[in-house]
Amino acid sequence: MEPVTKGKADGPQWGPRDAMTLLNHNLRRVDGPEKVSGRARYTHDIRLPGMVYARLLLCPLPTAQVELDCSAASKLRGVFAARGLGGKTSMKTGFLGQPIAVVAAETPELAEDAVRAIQATYKALPWSVTPEQALSTEGGKVKDNGNLGKPATEGDEDKFKKAFDSSAAKVEGEFHIPIQHHCSLETHGVVVDFNGGETATVYASTQGTFTVSGDAADALGLKASQVTTIVDYMGGGFGSKFGLGVEGLTACELARELKRPVHLMMTREDEFLAAGNRSGSIVKLKVGADSEGRLIALDGDVMKLGGIGGGAFNKPQYAYSLSDSKPPSQDEESGKPARPSKDGLHTSIRSLYMHTDSSRAMRAPGHPQTSFPIESVIDDLAYQLKIDPVTMRKKNLANEVHPKQLDRVAERIGWAKHPNKTAPQEQPDADGTKTGIGFAVTIWGSHGGAGCECKVAIGRDGSLQSIVGSQDLGTGTRTYVAAIAAEEFGLPLSACTAKIGNSNYGNANPSGGSSTVPSLAPAVKSAAYKAAQAFLEHLAGVVKRPIEELEFRGGSLVDAKVLPDAKEEKERKAGKGPKALMTWKEACATLGAAGISGEGRWDQSLTHADGVHGAQGAKVKVDLATGRVQVLQMVGVQDCGLPLNRTAVESQLNGGMIQALSYALHEERVIDPALGLMLNANFNDYKLAGCQEMPEFVPLIDEDDIGRGPIGMAEPAVTPGHSAIANAICNACGVRLHSMPFTADKILDGLAALAAKGGTK
Amino acid sequence: MKAFELIRPTTLDQVLELLPKKENRDRVRVVSGGQDLYTEMKEHLAEPDQLIDLKRLPDLDRIEVDAAGTVTIGALVTIAALAEDLRIQSKLTVVSEAAASVASTQIRNVGTVGGNLNQRPRCWYYRHEGAKCLKKGGTECFSKEGLNKYNAILGGGPSYIVHPSDLAPALICAGAEVVLVKKGSSRSVLLEKYYTLPSEGDVTRETVLEPDEILTHVKIPAPPAGWRSTYIKFKERGSFDFALASVAAGISVDKEVIRFARLVLGGVATIPWRVPQAEEKLVGKKNDPASRKEAAELALRRAEPLSDNEYKVALTKNLIERALAQLGA
Repeated sequence: MEPVTKGKADGPQWGPRDAMTLLNHNLRRVDGPEKVSGRARYTHDIRLPGMVYARLLLCPLPTAQVELDCSAASKLRGVFAARGLGGKTSMKTGFLGQPIAVVAAETPELAEDAVRAIQATYKALPWSVTPEQALSTEGGKVKDNGNLGKPATEGDEDKFKKAFDSSAAKVEGEFHIPIQHHCSLETHGVVVDFNGGETATVYASTQGTFTVSGDAADALGLKASQVTTIVDYMGGGFGSKFGLGVEGLTACELARELKRPVHLMMTREDEFLAAGNRSGSIVKLKVGADSEGRLIALDGDVMKLGGIGGGAFNKPQYAYSLSDSKPPSQDEESGKPARPSKDGLHTSIRSLYMHTDSSRAMRAPGHPQTSFPIESVIDDLAYQLKIDPVTMRKKNLANEVHPKQLDRVAERIGWAKHPNKTAPQEQPDADGTKTGIGFAVTIWGSHGGAGCECKVAIGRDGSLQSIVGSQDLGTGTRTYVAAIAAEEFGLPLSACTAKIGNSNYGNANPSGGSSTVPSLAPAVKSAAYKAAQAFLEHLAGVVKRPIEELEFRGGSLVDAKVLPDAKEEKERKAGKGPKALMTWKEACATLGAAGISGEGRWDQSLTHADGVHGAQGAKVKVDLATGRVQVLQMVGVQDCGLPLNRTAVESQLNGGMIQALSYALHEERVIDPALGLMLNANFNDYKLAGCQEMPEFVPLIDEDDIGRGPIGMAEPAVTPGHSAIANAICNACGVRLHSMPFTADKILDGLAALAAKGGTK
Repeated sequence: MKAFELIRPTTLDQVLELLPKKENRDRVRVVSGGQDLYTEMKEHLAEPDQLIDLKRLPDLDRIEVDAAGTVTIGALVTIAALAEDLRIQSKLTVVSEAAASVASTQIRNVGTVGGNLNQRPRCWYYRHEGAKCLKKGGTECFSKEGLNKYNAILGGGPSYIVHPSDLAPALICAGAEVVLVKKGSSRSVLLEKYYTLPSEGDVTRETVLEPDEILTHVKIPAPPAGWRSTYIKFKERGSFDFALASVAAGISVDKEVIRFARLVLGGVATIPWRVPQAEEKLVGKKNDPASRKEAAELALRRAEPLSDNEYKVALTKNLIERALAQLGA
């Protein structure tokens, strides 16, 4: 069987997975050759006649009264503009790295010289760049009414205390989670092509092709319809790139002023200081479990560290449910919480503001921060109760999916044969290392939303185009935009061209929250379906047969009543099937010059909004002499609805695990409190995991998830990996780390503390 | 990066003519691979008016071994070439292992021996243009009271930078000396005497190299009989990082007794840090766990950790024991 588009079907449907020839298969990226050969043009690469290079000056202090004198910078040869943002020469800044001035010059080097030639005087104001400063009375005030935001609370403290007191096992811990950076390889920025005429083009490194033109038009003095935004290729966003941004707005203002194209891409240092981040957190947890391992009491006190922004955090219990604290009943064997109850739950979440740039959305906002404390505590409780941590998790997950996924991860990572499940390895191996395994789970939504408008067009020349303005963040959007349309006609992937990344094409939603696939794929499917129906209707007239008797198979028009046998199938695949009424090329040749097309919008029936689940496991080796954590293997199981491209789904799983591993072992923004300087705003000192850190990755698609439409896979993959690593470290050597990243110094300090207590050898 | 004039001499004499007087030492700089200097220029830590490119000088990119077994390494030999040299691998394991541990393949292919030995220190305050620290002519070493996880536990005060070179401890372990040439004269200095403590003289410098001098060669004497050596570098990030701590260890063993020992630490001190007391303690002993532990304890006896780098003491001791254990009985 292969996909069949019959005449007058009831409407678009994804159809059975085993009938698919492209979707649910491993597809190579259609833009792979462009990218690896360097032909793909990113915003950074755009060069236009007469273009000037703009550069921002950032405030080097967390908060200051700034006076600017740009006269010397303006007079430099080759410099076209040097001025304070908004034309101001005096301003009070509110965060470290706040953009305060901009220059435009003939070359990037001259632009740097010009930025440095700006004479700025800074009068430092009292600042808070660390939680300690923000909480102290001497620290600078970020908000007039104090640095601590109003808490969002849930539950009753007295009831929690009662449940906690009655718990068979209790754990308390304070967890410190640093600020992580997006580290997109392409920094934020735009190139504005405007010479003072009636139209403009904005090349933007953005997650939302359609989030740019409106604001750009305002800044350029044009109507939104006169501004085209192009996002042909973009080098990653992870949640940080929506809208025009101060950099885009400034570039537009300069272009309008200078009547020249303006190239403004932030530097790597700018990116670290002023382009957002994943908020940090300080989390105090008190959690109690009954003797059977069911969570019955949880007190969570959370401070979100999002700079001048609010930060992000999920529910402290995350994916887990509390049970009531009455004695266990016979239900306990079912693996579910006995009687879900929030009686023992008491949580408080608030923001602690500091003079640093606002956190932004970052891949699963709030989830990785939430995951680390609760997953650590669950293992600690399991160890106390001598309950297998996998079993412990299964007892507290209120759904049917996670337990099966945990079993699959456990099986793949070799948990059954692992000797030390609820205690660290007793004696080190001959090489002075200990090995451990840890687990964690993830949840995310699967929702799409209305807005996407796709057009699938068939040309007289045999061309098939799938056209929608959507951006591709590097996740594989372009490939499935082509694949869904090609599949509709049974054509190979190479037969369809995806035209994306342009605001003159049909509208597309911004890419955030893993919503691109469930928002966009249904629109592409609908468009392909409608194009196929229109084409069949046209061909019915040509071959003088009722449309009900016609369908496309393997790209050819065939008689729907004649079922293909194997030989015919093979021949038809080669384009010469005897039963074909017309080959694809012959059919297309009957079209008029305008070809034929179908337009599709989001169709809720092609998506499912009931959420996704995943489980991950990590196996690590800890070198007791050096504190080095070597991750040996990471296994991730994820449900994802219909995988549009299995390779892309696996890539997302791998990418999520890689990002989580890097978060676990290395990543942390470091700011000196006394000087107010970020000390590691570069890729040497802000350490990202490299190839030497990479373990074996095992990305597994949850094959039990059948019957659902396609679901985005960006966020869920990144949430649990670092928590699994934390648990694996403790399982290996007994060191329970409460502070990320899990660097050698912390492991060594932890081992020393254990040795002082006579804990491990 | 500030604009500069690039000068490309073709003879050593031309270079010596161009080398600056003391008052111009920051205005005229020599460059070979540029893997540290260009970074400093991009960060505006160095802003020379003139760069003297050494790459066109003849003969300085060779490794030669004479009849007596003395190895002479030209300053322009790349770190990759040093790592791959079979003669070095067979006789001076510590040097080839150290070379192979430097940075990344790309940097090893471009960076040179002379540049590695003369690279500027690591300390994120020193490397941040905005921190006017002691090392950059300011009045305060911010790492002393600040965030000092990566800073020195030995040889500190008034500055607590870490000397980052991997080659220096290894070459000191091998007993190397460096040849310093200026117009009309040259001198040889033991590499271990080449580096200066922050408390000795000019705190903004790390070596005895005069502004009008250039390091042209490294000479390593033939190792003693029965010499075995190794270099262990511990990096926080396995891919491309500086050492949190490293150990260059060499011993000569005869009839299971250590007759000669050299131990030099990297990544933990303001200069490559030789530990003679530990070396002496090893001589006459078997290379067994007890003597290794004793040597490691002695080596770190004078360590003075700062607020965030106590871990380096245990780490370095463990690395010393591991390095010696690798050398075998």
